Amino acid sequence: MQTAIAVPIEHVLVLAAALFLIGFTGVLVRRNVIFLLMSLEIMMNACGLAFVVAGARWIEPDGQIMYMFILSLAAAEVAVGLGLVLQLERRHRHLDIDAASELEG
Amino acid sequence: MTDLLWLIPALPLTGFLILLVTEGRLPNLAVAFIGAGSVGLAAVTTFVVGSGFLDAGSEPYAQTLWVWMDVAGFSANVTLYLDGLSLVMLGVITGVGFLIHLYATGYMAHEDGYSRFFAYMNLFVFAMLVLVLGDNLLVLYLGWEGVGLCSYLLIGFFHTEAENGYAARKAFVVTRVGDTAMALGLFLLVRELGTLEIQAVLEGARVAWPDGSTLCTAIALLLLGGAVGKSAQLPLQTWLPDAMAGPTPVSALIHAATMVTAGVYLIARMHDLFLLSPSAQLAVALVGLATLFLAAFSALTQTDLKRILAYSTMSQIGYMFLALGVGAWSAAIFHLMTHAFFKALLFLSAGSVISALHHEQDVRKMGGLWRRLPVPFWSMVVGSAALAALPLTSGFYSKDIILLTSWDFHAGGPWFWGIASAAAFVTALYSARMIFLVFFGTIKTEPEDSSGPNMWGVLVVLALLAVGGGWFGLAPLADVLPDGGLNGHEHSTSLIWITAAIPIVGIVVGILIFGSRQIKVDTLLQTGLAETLRRFWFGGWGFDTFYDAVLVRPFVLLAGANKNDVVDLAYRGIAALARSSNRLLAKTQTGRLRWYASSMAFGLALVLLVVLEVL
Repeated sequence: MQTAIAVPIEHVLVLAAALFLIGFTGVLVRRNVIFLLMSLEIMMNACGLAFVVAGARWIEPDGQIMYMFILSLAAAEVAVGLGLVLQLERRHRHLDIDAASELEG
Repeated sequence: MTDLLWLIPALPLTGFLILLVTEGRLPNLAVAFIGAGSVGLAAVTTFVVGSGFLDAGSEPYAQTLWVWMDVAGFSANVTLYLDGLSLVMLGVITGVGFLIHLYATGYMAHEDGYSRFFAYMNLFVFAMLVLVLGDNLLVLYLGWEGVGLCSYLLIGFFHTEAENGYAARKAFVVTRVGDTAMALGLFLLVRELGTLEIQAVLEGARVAWPDGSTLCTAIALLLLGGAVGKSAQLPLQTWLPDAMAGPTPVSALIHAATMVTAGVYLIARMHDLFLLSPSAQLAVALVGLATLFLAAFSALTQTDLKRILAYSTMSQIGYMFLALGVGAWSAAIFHLMTHAFFKALLFLSAGSVISALHHEQDVRKMGGLWRRLPVPFWSMVVGSAALAALPLTSGFYSKDIILLTSWDFHAGGPWFWGIASAAAFVTALYSARMIFLVFFGTIKTEPEDSSGPNMWGVLVVLALLAVGGGWFGLAPLADVLPDGGLNGHEHSTSLIWITAAIPIVGIVVGILIFGSRQIKVDTLLQTGLAETLRRFWFGGWGFDTFYDAVLVRPFVLLAGANKNDVVDLAYRGIAALARSSNRLLAKTQTGRLRWYASSMAFGLALVLLVVLEVL
């Protein structure tokens, strides 16, 4: 079932790269842990998008399977991450990731 | 009954193991029973085994217990070997050893570490028994090092005082010099004869080497080196006077009766090697002669009661070496036995005197004790008489044969006789001095006798042995040693009378000098020369000073210069490098999550650029 691709793959990859960079910038500049986690979600979805488009391009199911993996991974990560956020809130009464640093290098 | 032989060393070992595992938790009475009892049982077993052995016609008996090792054509069995020589040694070790243990149960009662003391003593008796029973030079060497270890442990028994530890280390290191020589001798024997079984070595040596062969001389001299170290002979004698730091029963057992005579036993056991090499045998005689002479004069000037006895022991072992050297083999072992009796007696009575005077050892602070301490007084008189070799005492019979045989020695016999007799005169002199300083004159320190019946009972038994121990000779030795027992050569009557009279003259002169003071020596002693000589003899003829200047100081200096070990520099450099890079990298671990993320991104970008060959 060969269907023509309306959108060229390059466009989708550029979109994915842009999303990834937005997410990454968010990770770097945000200090609030909640926003940090959201930025990570954006980065993972950028990867998922790249996988799906690659799978469609070469007509392989692998890309979609990888996306399933990424989804479940993201779910697990959020579960753990939100747990950490709750603990952080409890102990420090704020969500500032820099202020929570206790390592003395 | 000879198959009970294995039990003799096993009993003290069991005693040691029991005292070891209980770690001093047993009450003193139980410790005394185990410590002295195990040696007592060994003495009984020795008696049973010995009478069985003599009934069976004194045939040598070997009991193989197990194979120790069997590698590359060399095998060594743990075999116990019983013949006349080892039987005499067994009797001395277990018999005198038991008496000394019994005495120590009372003597050590008020000291800390009662259980530890008896554990070490039992281990010592075990090691000494292994030494004399070993049929293999390797087993003998095991016992040899074992007694060295116990000697070290017991010299330093009162370990809270630093100088006792120093004396223990000195004894260990100095004897180790001799032991190294002995080990080299054993290596040579293995290389040349391929075995260390004593009987096989003796036979192999007779077959393999002609009379006076250089190799045999080398081996005999190396073994002599071991004997010299263990028996405190010149030039390795310096450790023995310091070894008196140990408790007095230890001095009696280890540094008078048994361990220090191990060198005599070794040479007697390996007699064929010395017979094959006349020059080595001459060396034995010369070492003995020099030691007995020098030590006798040192004993004359000592002020510490135990050091007098230590130099006297050195001197008497010198007589044994002289006897071995001039071919009076049986007389050497005979003197070993009688010396064990009377010197153990002397040490133990000295111990009673010292403990009655609250650990005062300086003879100048003693005096007038003969009424107050009758048992130690009479035992010391008897012991000194035997030491001086007055007729009818045990010491007379053994020393007389040695002196007479030395007259017949082929290389300048009369000289040997003359020097040894002069030292015998000095022996009588210092014995008299010791008795008069300790027991006569005015009381300078008030004695407080606290010895129980087990202590003075031992003194009485040893006194009987010191008198009568020489009356019956030593029959078992006849088949073992090459001179066929104690029946020596014919001598002219005048020589016999002169030899017997020398100690009597010595005692009489001693009484006149130290007792009735009819010979005035005070003015003579005030002269500068006499004072210098006295100091020289007091310090043991300057050997300690000499070794200190030539060996100890340079070594300490060298060790001090190399305190920071040159070889270690490279390794310390590597460690410093690792530590500084660790310090550098640790600074990057700030805990700033966003800092980590950006450095990751930076690194990834760098890798990507490299992979894409942009850079």
